[in-house]
Amino acid sequence: MNEKDINRKIEEAMHSIDDISKASPVPFFFTRLEARMSLEKNAWYQLYSFFARPAMAFACICVIIILNLAVIFKTVNTGDTYSKQGSDIASVDEYSQVTTGLYELDK
Amino acid sequence: MNEQDLIELVKNKDRTAFKTLVDTWQDMVYNTAIGILQNAEDAEDVSQEVFMKVYDSITSFKGESKFSTWLYRITVSKATDHIRKKKRKKRFAFIQSLYGKNDERDIDPPDFYHPGIALENKENGAILFDAIEQLSPNQKTAFVLNKMEQLSYKEISEVMNLSEAAVDALLQRAKDKLRKLLRNYYLLK
Repeated sequence: MNEKDINRKIEEAMHSIDDISKASPVPFFFTRLEARMSLEKNAWYQLYSFFARPAMAFACICVIIILNLAVIFKTVNTGDTYSKQGSDIASVDEYSQVTTGLYELDK
Repeated sequence: MNEQDLIELVKNKDRTAFKTLVDTWQDMVYNTAIGILQNAEDAEDVSQEVFMKVYDSITSFKGESKFSTWLYRITVSKATDHIRKKKRKKRFAFIQSLYGKNDERDIDPPDFYHPGIALENKENGAILFDAIEQLSPNQKTAFVLNKMEQLSYKEISEVMNLSEAAVDALLQRAKDKLRKLLRNYYLLK
């Protein structure tokens, strides 16, 4: 394509919307608008929209992470003796070999 | 019923008056939205948001500017917000895909065919709209209002809160950039 052709193409493209007619929405626009307005007035929908906002969702995730970190931190600091006791008990249970064989049941 | 009476009735939440207002202005709002967004579904969505905003905040319309100017301002602002939200959504598409929530198609078709373009200009129109998509938001708004809504420089300046000279400069830069983008397109073809 030479320079002349390119310039002609550019002008054709630039003028392609000169006689453009207006676009219209598909029929029954007002009906759909009314339906959406009544949906968005619904209290549950408003509540959902409030929590679905990115900032709100991000804040909720932050709160959950902070709560989790707080619980982990608290457990690490205060749960040493408890976990030691727990593990002792567990080991006693684990190693107590109570076997009930057929011969023992007959006795 | 004149425009002022209609607005007063809508301020009193009259359903019939609101329907008349929507029927009167829906084409203008939709046409502006589709020019900026280049997607029929998004344009419908934004048009609904515009009229919801009109219904909720028409009491704040004091009649200092023309009603159509006020409506254009809301449309441009809602369409620009919609583009911003869509870009943000695309940025988080990866995270959404991790939760299996990425069923929605976020990528627009490569060629947008405006329903108002004559059949013989369809292909050239699609190429031009592809270039329009690459303009800055202000350049795009000014170009759409001028070419698709046939607004004068004065009207555009009122909608965009700019001086007429600034609109003139904006449109000149938009046309220069479009020619440059089209040149690159035809050179690569």
